[in-house]
Amino acid sequence: MDARDLEVRRTTYRRFVELGRAPRSDELGDRTEVRASWRRLHDEHALVLDPAGELLMANPFSAVPTPYRVEADGRSWYGNCAWDAIGICAALHADGRIATSCHDCGETIDLRIENGRPDDDGLLFHCLVPAAHWWDDIVFT
Amino acid sequence: MNLFRSEEHIERWLAGREPGATISVSKLSELAHTWWDDRLSPSWVPHARDQNQAILDSLGLAGVFWRLPS
Repeated sequence: MDARDLEVRRTTYRRFVELGRAPRSDELGDRTEVRASWRRLHDEHALVLDPAGELLMANPFSAVPTPYRVEADGRSWYGNCAWDAIGICAALHADGRIATSCHDCGETIDLRIENGRPDDDGLLFHCLVPAAHWWDDIVFT
Repeated sequence: MNLFRSEEHIERWLAGREPGATISVSKLSELAHTWWDDRLSPSWVPHARDQNQAILDSLGLAGVFWRLPS
């Protein structure tokens, strides 16, 4: 990962925020060069690509719909998990609202994050995979 | 890495599997804000492993479960 890769990463994240969705490689410049940078960033765990070489995750943002819909700063995105959903508010330095559900019973959860704090502290977060293995299969994690 | 209504819901979802770690959503929010705060900064550079471990340690997320790979 060199300075050029970091610039591609910056542009990728900036466009992700602006668009409210993942940018395609051809929206960021020369497709071949962008995808080569993305591959190096993927290898360094700076983002995650799908098997076709397009964006799957620009953590905490998800390029595909997930059970964690986040509204913040007048726009909306998907988080990869509960940690990432709150992480979108953190990255934007904004209050937000997370629309999700209990992973067991499916009951709707409408969680608001204001000034960095959730409005319902009765909820619990469960992480199944130990930290040593998070990147063994980041999609499963 | 999901949200649940209660410990009972987590146990039911685990269905006998070995549990991981459970924290309150308030602790999760502290973690998320510390972990992701700089992600959109123009000066962002990758976190070193020890930097990330220090975040976990500072929030009391200690023990083998929260130990990042060396």
